[in-house]
Amino acid sequence: MNMMPSGGLLLLAVGWPLFLTLLLVFKRIRPVVLHLASWAALPALLASLLVAPSGMRWHLPWMMLGSELGLDTIGQMFLLPAALLWTVSGRYARAYFLKQEQRTRFYLFFLPAMGGNFALILAQELQGFYLGFTLMSFASYGLVIFNGTTAALLAGRVYIGFVVAGEVMLFASLILATYATGSTTFDVVRIGLIDADNREIVILLALAGFAIKVGVFGLHVWLPLAHPVAPAPASAVLSGAMLKAGLLGWLRLLPLGEVALPEWGGVIIVAGLTSAFYGVVIGVMQRDPKILLAYSSISQMGIITMTMGLGMLAPQAWPNILPGIAFYALHHGLSKGALFLGVGIAGSQDRLQRRWIWFALWLPALALAGAPWTSGMLVKHLVKAYTFYAPTPWNTLLLMLLLASTVATSLLMVRLLYLLRPSANPMGLAPAAGLVWPWVVLLLTILFAPWWLRPSSVQAGYMQALESLWPILLAYFVAMVVLRMGWFLSVQPVSADDLQLFLTRSVKSLCRMGINWAGIRYTVSEVQRRNRVRLINMVAVVMARIKWAEDYIACWDVAIFLVVVMILGMGLMA
Amino acid sequence: MNWDAWIPLLVVAISLLLSLIIFSLAEDSVRLRTMLNLFGNFATLALVIWMFVRVYHGHVFETRLPLLADLDLVLRADPLALLFVGLSSGLWLLTTIYAIGYLKGSPNRSRFFGFFSLCVTATTGVALSGNLLSFLLFYELLTLSAYPLIVHHGTAKAYRAGQSYLAYTLCGGALLLLGTVWLYTLTDTLEFTPQGFIHGLNEESRFSLVSIFVLLIAGLGVKAALVPLHSWLPTAMVAPAPVSALLHAVAVVKAGAFGIVRVIYDVFGAERAALLGLTLPLALLAAVTIIYGSLRALFQDDLKRRLAFSTVSQVSYIVLGVAIAGPIATIGGLVHLVHQGLMKITLFFCAGNLAKTLGIHKVSEMNGVGRRMPWTMTAFTIGALGMIGIPPTAGFISKWYLGLGALEAGQEWVIIVLLSSSLLNAAYFLPALHRIWFQSPPDAWPDEHDIGNKETAWALLLPPVVTAVMAVTAGLLATAPFSPLEWVQLIAEREFYQP
Repeated sequence: MNMMPSGGLLLLAVGWPLFLTLLLVFKRIRPVVLHLASWAALPALLASLLVAPSGMRWHLPWMMLGSELGLDTIGQMFLLPAALLWTVSGRYARAYFLKQEQRTRFYLFFLPAMGGNFALILAQELQGFYLGFTLMSFASYGLVIFNGTTAALLAGRVYIGFVVAGEVMLFASLILATYATGSTTFDVVRIGLIDADNREIVILLALAGFAIKVGVFGLHVWLPLAHPVAPAPASAVLSGAMLKAGLLGWLRLLPLGEVALPEWGGVIIVAGLTSAFYGVVIGVMQRDPKILLAYSSISQMGIITMTMGLGMLAPQAWPNILPGIAFYALHHGLSKGALFLGVGIAGSQDRLQRRWIWFALWLPALALAGAPWTSGMLVKHLVKAYTFYAPTPWNTLLLMLLLASTVATSLLMVRLLYLLRPSANPMGLAPAAGLVWPWVVLLLTILFAPWWLRPSSVQAGYMQALESLWPILLAYFVAMVVLRMGWFLSVQPVSADDLQLFLTRSVKSLCRMGINWAGIRYTVSEVQRRNRVRLINMVAVVMARIKWAEDYIACWDVAIFLVVVMILGMGLMA
Repeated sequence: MNWDAWIPLLVVAISLLLSLIIFSLAEDSVRLRTMLNLFGNFATLALVIWMFVRVYHGHVFETRLPLLADLDLVLRADPLALLFVGLSSGLWLLTTIYAIGYLKGSPNRSRFFGFFSLCVTATTGVALSGNLLSFLLFYELLTLSAYPLIVHHGTAKAYRAGQSYLAYTLCGGALLLLGTVWLYTLTDTLEFTPQGFIHGLNEESRFSLVSIFVLLIAGLGVKAALVPLHSWLPTAMVAPAPVSALLHAVAVVKAGAFGIVRVIYDVFGAERAALLGLTLPLALLAAVTIIYGSLRALFQDDLKRRLAFSTVSQVSYIVLGVAIAGPIATIGGLVHLVHQGLMKITLFFCAGNLAKTLGIHKVSEMNGVGRRMPWTMTAFTIGALGMIGIPPTAGFISKWYLGLGALEAGQEWVIIVLLSSSLLNAAYFLPALHRIWFQSPPDAWPDEHDIGNKETAWALLLPPVVTAVMAVTAGLLATAPFSPLEWVQLIAEREFYQP
């Protein structure tokens, strides 16, 4: 395509969902707009298919402080799955919500989040990126608390807290990067950061700020709360598309491949691996499939994070690693989206129907587990190859850990399929045609698209297929043994607010231990109550003091007194 | 005859004349008063727009009337003056429309609109003043003409607030006068000059200069609500909503902030002020005010009180920007003069709509009000997000320039202040937004007025929606010609940092 139409298409990809949001306000045309809204991601999908990736930039000098849109290779690898997932979820949502009032409310948040997501993918400078990121994050709040249950409200509170914290860190990181490099264009900033004085703090803030979105261990707390409580089409894009925004932020901003960052690389690898294992260990204990899937997202994003850490150790290998990371993101986005959408329609009363859905769910589950001839197999082999970039003693360890995580992921998927088995209690909606068709399209994409999009370096022969079979068989074997022994049924799910709960519990038990040890007879709640009351009293006293002081200086005689004191003070300064 | 020399005077005179005519009108001649008001508004606005275009092409408008022996009354439309005049005349029009709707059927409207116009006269005068003496005159006129507006309701609480206001601002005025006179004895001129008019003063006059600076800033800081001189502002929120809107966004508070800009850039000159070691303490004071105001806002349940403390905090962004005294930070500070005005006036309009339509005065009563008043609450949301500094609102642009400017001037600590302020703003605005949009509404509103099938009266709805759109446009199209940011950059190039 030549220049003008593609630029227009990119602008339309971002602008169309936002424009529809505005139209949604007018009651009279709402039915028509709702129809259009379910197709809102279509321009983006067309853009990802028709616009040839290039270094070409379309300047919007009037926007904010001057924006640039463009579609490069990485952008395309992120735009394609995102656009596909948003389209499919948009259609799915139309059948998911039958009442117009519900639909309107859903699309009112769904559309701006979509526009923000596309904007951040297409933006080639950091303010446009930040705008899209913010729009997406804040609009998703409406999706998270959509159901209005107590759990949703709690999740929303935690979510928005993390979002605001992330925003603040990003703002600091971006402004420091702009100051250091004198530019807001990503290409310039990335190069400029190599020998910037404040490089470390920019990297720290960017890593932490985006890690919240990616769900890296320690900053993941919001994720298993927020993703499952949202309606299925929202969960699909939350886990499938929006998590990747943080990853893309890293790829765009950090000077990856330009300079070796061994310390950061080490930190990132450890953080990634921790998330990978933490996600599966906690996930496998869940009874709610959606929570399990949320933990699986943490785990999968952990592996991607680790891969990026490898790139930080070995910048010379970055051109090789980058397509792998993008491909992994695509693979996870599509499979996870399909799983969430599938869980949403496992609610039929009809056994036969459920069996069909269940068998169809095998496809994304197997893909995620890395079964032969799936996209999962391709990514597992890519990542395995990358581990050799680590220094010698560590690469073997890394390889073993990676294999262990593959087995664990397979185990997680077995557990998922077990929870959703046709004989279990139905959950979600009955599979209406409007729900099934978009899902089937997504499944077909998972089946075929990876072969077309895979990086050239990956091989997919019989050897690789055979090699990727044994973790799954092992997982199946373990699962059978466990099931036979009846452990599966007695596993208590760790609550989704795991870390918070764990911390509170450990603090509580530590207190209890301490009190027992000291022989104090107060019960725990008594001590807690007293401390709490004391704290509240203290705050109240301080606030009252401040209020009193303000009332006091609000009197006019005090005002005059202040002025006199000021003049006297100046006299004393002489 | 050269008309250009009379245009600044004309701009000031229109609203002065208007106020005199309105004072003489009978209480019940509503239509005539409305017509006159709107005519005055539009005439002023047209003149201001014309001045904008001419000044952009390098023209300068100046009125000079002899006043004292060597001191003239000077009204000069330089780019900085126009920034403030543009803000005040634009928002004056909207506030007048709003006030007509808000005060419909209430007593003493002639008095109200008379003083309202007088207040605008004073603000325009403050903006256009070409020397410190003219500035002082209009500044005092502003002090006095705002008093009747604050006590408009005539309740005991209103009188107490008025008393506190007068005590503070009159003392501030006295300090300002003292500083001005002292300065005149040293320099023999009070003419605002780019990069200051204190030339050739040596080390001996250092003490005098420092003292004069402190006196001037303390005098202006009262109106700009710098901690610890801010207490009158939250008390003054007993005034009717249009007054609060004008007070917080345009007139009184901004006059103080604008004065500080003038003192630093056109009296002392940023470099000299920095050499005297005056800007850093001022920046620190502004930072303390920013944090303190937000902290106090966090604990207010009364909506207007919460907004008032938020003003205390936000106006100090302007002071912080100019006190950092680097070119980029100055742009951030100056542009916030306009941006804060747009966002805060939106919030106060919305607060007024809630009070007038549903009888809601407290944040805790705002549950589900988004469904009852969607347009008003959308405007409120935009204003609130702007205060936090979320893109693409105008507040983000201010914050970006302030932060970048602080880094450029080597004042990294400012970033921490900005971030904490953002966090605090989020902490007191986001829960309110959650209430508005996601909580279910109560069975009955505290004091609902019957307005038919509509959300609220047109005159009340239009102004906040317009200002909210402007607050987004100012951020989204920040680099478009004649946007506040572009104009401020023109100011910085032509006046503060000319080669």
